[in-house]
Formats: sequence, structure tokens, C-alpha cells
Amino acid sequence: MYTLIYRLLLCVMFFLLLFTVNKSTAAEHNHQAMVSKVVQTENCKEIEVTCAKTVTSVFAPNDDLWRLWAQNTSMYFQISIDNGLTFSDVNRVAIDKEKISARNENRPKIAFDKYQGVYLSWATPKEKKHTADVRFSYSSDYGKTFTKPITVNDDNLLTGHSFNEMLVTDEGDINIVWLDSRLSHQLRLQGKKTKGSELYIGKANYRKNETSFSNKQLANNTCVCCRIAMDYNNHGELAIFWRHIYGDNIREFALLTLSKGENSQQTPYQISYDHWKINGCPHQGGAISINENNRYHMVWFNQGDVGKGIFYASSTDQGKSLTKPISVGVQSAQAAHPHLNTNSNNIDIVWTQFTGTEHELWHQRSTDNGKSFTQAVMLATAVNGSDRPFIFKKDKVSYVSWHRPKQGHLVQAL
Amino acid sequence: MASSETRAFGASIMKFFKKLTYAVFIWFLVGISTSFAESIAFDKTQLASVKMQNMGKQWLMLLWSVDCPPCFKELAIIQKLQGQHDDLAVVIINTDANDEINAEREEIIKKFELGNFTNFHFVDGRGDQSRFFIDPNWYGELPRSYFIESNGKFHGKSGLVNQSILTQWLVN
Repeated sequence: MYTLIYRLLLCVMFFLLLFTVNKSTAAEHNHQAMVSKVVQTENCKEIEVTCAKTVTSVFAPNDDLWRLWAQNTSMYFQISIDNGLTFSDVNRVAIDKEKISARNENRPKIAFDKYQGVYLSWATPKEKKHTADVRFSYSSDYGKTFTKPITVNDDNLLTGHSFNEMLVTDEGDINIVWLDSRLSHQLRLQGKKTKGSELYIGKANYRKNETSFSNKQLANNTCVCCRIAMDYNNHGELAIFWRHIYGDNIREFALLTLSKGENSQQTPYQISYDHWKINGCPHQGGAISINENNRYHMVWFNQGDVGKGIFYASSTDQGKSLTKPISVGVQSAQAAHPHLNTNSNNIDIVWTQFTGTEHELWHQRSTDNGKSFTQAVMLATAVNGSDRPFIFKKDKVSYVSWHRPKQGHLVQAL
Repeated sequence: MASSETRAFGASIMKFFKKLTYAVFIWFLVGISTSFAESIAFDKTQLASVKMQNMGKQWLMLLWSVDCPPCFKELAIIQKLQGQHDDLAVVIINTDANDEINAEREEIIKKFELGNFTNFHFVDGRGDQSRFFIDPNWYGELPRSYFIESNGKFHGKSGLVNQSILTQWLVN
């Protein structure tokens, strides 16, 4: 009897052995005899800005320069009192740990009021893929303590709410815009087709004890994976600039001003006409900056049949009509990820180019309302990847912020 | 006495075989899990190698990211086609270039049952370099599909490709 069991066991073992070897051989064959295994680059263990994928920088009203980044499940900040030459020790934002979206187009945002108030907004990914909530926390004591984070979107749905942008006035009026998928979520449940996301705005003011955010849809059919841009015009109205989906997946930029008067703009103006048809993710948002004369300056990137590369244009009527778009950077050198800002008579544009081995940060300036630009100048290079560059300003001086992962965060006066 | 010794010897042999059987069974299970294709770090050599290995046939190179919802739709189409046809000539490349998403990437490959294809991933911090040597005219928009002719000629297309086009290309 035992002999029979032994033989049976041996047979089973032999069969299992054979089967396993066959599986391994098949897998090796499938890998087409490639011997290289997964290369596990050691994760950055230190809490320091060089380990971040993205950095957000802005000057506080007292002229301190703040930089903010996310690592693991926390946000950290440093303060510079010498315009970015040196920074304070790293401070952890004192809130409970949670996941924070911080790569490519998505990153935490920071803003200030004139009463020592610090405002943070970020997206936290949820358990289901491509779902997230927009989150918010406020500090009334210049970052020493922060309120318990709240969710800005009010739909309680496990769906997309992300790509948040935030502006806060000196008096603490908070405006957060984001891409929201609540409508497409509901349509999908009904078995209906959807196209992109919706653009939402939420408003609150913690100084006035208005601590829950209003939620209002501003547009439908937006691109789902490009950052939004916004600025105040000289009437104190918000202008929002984003990548929209027109027709059959034509991805063009759109502009909407949230006018205060009765003649509020209902339909966004189409800004770009480059005819980029793509049912996918460009991962390239635009930028807007409005000068003292209420001229809207915009920059964007497209890869359309009509227009390819970075383009700059401006408008004196809130986007209803536009100057002829000017090409920026060298298209064949991978010019991409533009940002711009206005400062008195200057319009500064920065963008990245790529040589195949190094990223380059480029800059050019116009002093005549965008009619002409100085020759482009390369400011810096990066070897381990590149975050998007951003321009921000203090008084009459504009600065560029460019984070270079594992290399360092660059802050430079333009 | 001799009989009891024999029985004891028999029992110990049986124990040994039992242990061996468990060990083999565990080896078998490990074998199953490791046979699931693990993503390979992508570089110029890998690209040259995969091009050479596919020379003479029509194949597809699909590039995707965990942050790209339409990419998931194309991965799902490949999953579906795989269930209907054998030996699809598909090479899949994740473009995130971020060690933070390694586990997520493997989970998605597993979810869409794409482990039997050759899966590559861009190395952390080297994403744009990898993108550039595949195609200097591609700006990173996703999904990105390369339809490669049997003579090795590449045709790149950005955005989701529908099932009928993929079927037409891959199923001869």
C-alpha cells in the first residue's frame, strides 16, 4: 500500500517538476531571451526637495519664498528669505498622512492671504484607479498648524476630481478649479457615452467662517489629463484657461472669464485652432497671465495638423479675438511645457527642450506686449528628468522655478 | 525487531517524501507566479533586440502610463484580442519612468492579463531619453502605438486605436 502511495507521490512530483520547468522555459522564451531583469532604482529615502518629482513655488506677501512638495504621504515646505539662494529646514505640513498626487501635470498648490494665512490644495488618489478627491487645508498661523483637511468636491462619488488649481485673494477668498468626472460617472452608469471631464469651481473663505466649498460646473467636455491655468483680470474677475474637447476629439484650448456683471460669459472662447485630434492624454496644459491693461497673454502646446509646437497669443477682449499666434521655441528640439507671466511691460515665457540626453530650460522676453520677443536664451540643463517650469514674481522681478529630480530645485531671477 | 525497524524506516522515508512533495508543490506555485512576465527595464539595447527579434513580421509596440485613462482602454483591447488569437506580436512599454509606481504597473499588467507579452518600462529619471530614442518626434502624449512593418519600418499613432485596426494589423 505504502509503495503505491510513494509511487503516486513520485509521479505527481515528477509531473509538477516537469510542468514548472516547462512554464519557466516558456516564460523565458516569451521574454525573447532577454536577460535583463527589472532594475529597481533605489527609492529616495531622504525627505528633501531633490527627492521630489514636482515642486510648487510662490512668494508670500511678506516676500518669503515658499517651496512645497510631496513625498510618500506627506507634504513638506521650506522658506527662503533671500529669493531662493538658501532655504530653511524642511517642515512637514502638520496634517494626517494621505496619498498626494504629485507628478507631471498634478501637484499640490499653495497660496496666501495678507493675514498670515497659508492655503493648501491637492488631489488625493482613491482606491479605484483614476479616481481622486480634491483636498484643502488652511493655516492661520503661517504654517505652524493646519486645519484638518476637507474634501472640496461635494458629490461623495468615487470618481475623478483632480488637476486642482487655486487662487486666494488678500482677503482670503479661495477659488479652486478642478477637472471633475461626476457627470461622466453618472452617464457611464446609465450606459451612455461620455466625452472628457467637467470643469468645476469651488469657493470658500475661512476668515469669514465659510468653510465648506461651493461646487459649480463651469464647462463640460474638458480634456481629462492636462493642468488648468487661471488668473485675475483687472476687474478682479477670474479667467480660466484649459484644454477642451471640440467635436470628435479635437483638443484645443478654451478660455472663460467669470464676469461679475450681468453680461456674464456663458460659452468659453476657443483660443487655439491647431486641430490636434487625439483620443488620449496630451499631458500638456497651458498658461495665462493678465497684465495691468487687462490684456490676456496665453501660451500653449499642440501637435495638430494645423499647428505644432508652442504658441503664444494675446487678447484685449477676454479671448473673443486674438493676436496671430507666434511660435515659441524649437519644435524639432522637443520644445514643450511652456509657462508665462507678465510683469509691468514684460512678458516672460519659459519652456523646456530636450537634446536626447539633457533637458534644457529656455527663456525669452517681450517688452512690447508680445509683438516681438528677444532671442531665446538657455538658462539651465537637467540630466535626470525635468519637472514643468513655472514663472512667479515678487514686485517688479520675475523668477523661474524649475525642479530637476535628483539634481535640485532651481530658482532664478529672469 | 527487524520488522519494527523496517516500519520506522518506512515511516521516516514517508515523512521525507511528504516534505519533498510540499517543497515541490511550493516550488510549483512559485514557478507559476514567477512565470508571469515581469516588466523589463527599457534601454537602447532592448529596443534594438526587440526590433531584431520581430524583423520579418508585422508587430505592434504599445506605450502606456498608469496616469492615462485611454491607455487602459487600449490595454483592454489587447487583452480581448489575446483571448481570441494566439501569438499576437505585441510589445508593451510603460512610460511612467517612476519607481513609485512599480507595484501599480505590475498590478495593471496582471489585471489586463498581459504578462505573456514582453513588457518593458522606462527607467526612473530616464523617461524622456527613452522616448527620444524610440522617436524624437513624439512628445509623450499617450497612448502611443507603433505599427511596425515586417521590414522594420515604424508608423507612430497617438491616441486610442480602435479594435478593428488593431485586429487587422495583428491578425493575419
